[in-house]
Amino acid sequence: MHFSFFHLMPWTDLDEAPTEWPARNGAFRAEKGTELYKTYIDTMAHAEACGFDWVGANEHHFSPYSLMSNCNVIGGALTQRTQKIKIAMLGNLLPLLNPVRVAEEYAMLDVMSGGRLIAGFVRGIPHEYIAYNVSPDESRGRMREALNIILKAWTEPEPFGWEGEFYQYRAISIWPRPHQNPHPRMLMSASNKESAAFVGEFPAMVGLTLIGDLDVARGLIDTYRESSLAHGRNPGPDDILVGQGTCIAETDEEAQEEMAEALAYFHKVLMRPQQDAQRIVVQKTRFFGEGASGAGAGEYFVKRLETLKQRSIKEQIEAGTILCGSPESVVKQIKRLNQHLGAGHINMNMKLGTMPQASVMRSMKLFHERVLPEVRML
Amino acid sequence: MTTIVHSETDHAMPSGPLRVRKAGTGRALVHLHSAAGPRISKVIEALADHHTVHALFMPGFEGMPKHAGVKTLQSLADLVAAYIEKECGGECDVVGESFGGWIALWLAVLHPQRVGQLVLEAPAGLRANNKGGLPEDPQARLKALHAKPEQAPKEQRSEQVLLGNRKAMSEYTGGVAFDDSLAARLGEIKARTLVLMGTLDKVIPSESGQLLKARVPSSHLTYIWDAAHALEFDQPKRVSALMLDFLDRGESFLVRPASPAA
Repeated sequence: MHFSFFHLMPWTDLDEAPTEWPARNGAFRAEKGTELYKTYIDTMAHAEACGFDWVGANEHHFSPYSLMSNCNVIGGALTQRTQKIKIAMLGNLLPLLNPVRVAEEYAMLDVMSGGRLIAGFVRGIPHEYIAYNVSPDESRGRMREALNIILKAWTEPEPFGWEGEFYQYRAISIWPRPHQNPHPRMLMSASNKESAAFVGEFPAMVGLTLIGDLDVARGLIDTYRESSLAHGRNPGPDDILVGQGTCIAETDEEAQEEMAEALAYFHKVLMRPQQDAQRIVVQKTRFFGEGASGAGAGEYFVKRLETLKQRSIKEQIEAGTILCGSPESVVKQIKRLNQHLGAGHINMNMKLGTMPQASVMRSMKLFHERVLPEVRML
Repeated sequence: MTTIVHSETDHAMPSGPLRVRKAGTGRALVHLHSAAGPRISKVIEALADHHTVHALFMPGFEGMPKHAGVKTLQSLADLVAAYIEKECGGECDVVGESFGGWIALWLAVLHPQRVGQLVLEAPAGLRANNKGGLPEDPQARLKALHAKPEQAPKEQRSEQVLLGNRKAMSEYTGGVAFDDSLAARLGEIKARTLVLMGTLDKVIPSESGQLLKARVPSSHLTYIWDAAHALEFDQPKRVSALMLDFLDRGESFLVRPASPAA
């Protein structure tokens, strides 16, 4: 199996939960921000020494939830701090961005890292569309068209123009081209059946995060596999990535206690401001598609977050939505994920909410010394 | 857009009669049809809103007689050049659709003084390694040609005419997928050239467009999103807007004009 160390780069110093979106930024302090970035980048670079295969980050806007409005900036720093670990951008919120710029920045990261980029493309969570003033109704159409532009920008031997529905360019010829040939390894996320089928249309891994339970996740993976097969590809376990909040301590009790406190801040403070914006987008737009299936996917999205928030730590472990416990317990939980989902890649987020830095470092150490040797050969 | 009136006239050329469907007013533009024969598309109508469009019927197509001395693509190009000299003031812009693009390329090579700007829609004749091509089965052919079959023109021509079109195409091209002689001379083309390729085109591979971009000195390659081979029917708005901008502004079409103030 393969493992990724993922960092959300949360702001950890809010005493009260912001109640509106976008969250007021008056509480941001530059010195603290600089310190956090340094700590977070040091931690991410340290993932290489802890045996992780990838180190990853993603993109969010207008919220203390994540100080990562452009994960490619962090990726650029990591290319200079690491030697072998893959740099996983998981990913750029493609429908919000200029696809040519994304193709260029990803090509830069791939060349700067000597071909270590994992190029993630995500549609994002609904409220991000308000931040960049893009209609959520257009998200799927923009995603599909932008992906095709990027694949062409990476692989076309001659300058070309593009006349599309959402994007028009009269001449594209990016410098540099990517290091990996024909293009960087791609990953796209899936949170419902439609998006799982969509991922299968492209030469991409699928990533599942914030999964509600293992059976739902299994269904999405099956849909991805069927779609990939229909498009001439046969994905293996290494093409399936599952994201998991992770805390590893000497005992189950210690890990569960820390996880409970960190997740309380995550759900009640960091996730709070975007709830209203998310609800408006889900209810008032076609972000999840037309008709009953779209409404069902939207309802599932909201329900999934509520369910995750209300579950106890033990219930979350049982449902397979987090990895938490002693090294021996986490090994069992990983084996279960591998068997039930056929997932060959786990993306671990150890800095959940206010999780202390010392606990993150301990989780990484225990993963390296006592978990990884037991699960690497799965 | 103004109402477009089309009128057909048979022109007496030295080698035989040449039928031309004319529409619009303005600078002359010659449109060379695909192997499907001359059809009125929304693109032709949009062009006719700005140009006098001369849609030529190649001999042997649409029940027209073949010309005794016109048996090759080069001789078709000679015929088109003679028409431009006689009816279009000696020089005009040329749009070639698939098979018509192949003729247009020979026209630009053999008669550079007759061609102003050149637009090629998924031009045939440069399919390396026999990649692409049209399937025999009618349903498969329809699917290969049209990403949006509901926008394909309703066929009203007789089976005899359609068979004649296919026979004429076959005789002119000799079933050749890659025209080596043409490929060797692409560098001689003087006309500024816009090559359009559909992102879903399985008939003419994207490598054909790439070859043209690489070898034609002043050329631009643009992909039309969500279009198969029949660009004029799958994406008429995108194709006509781009084509008109190119024909109107030449190389300046690379630069986006300012948007009106809000």
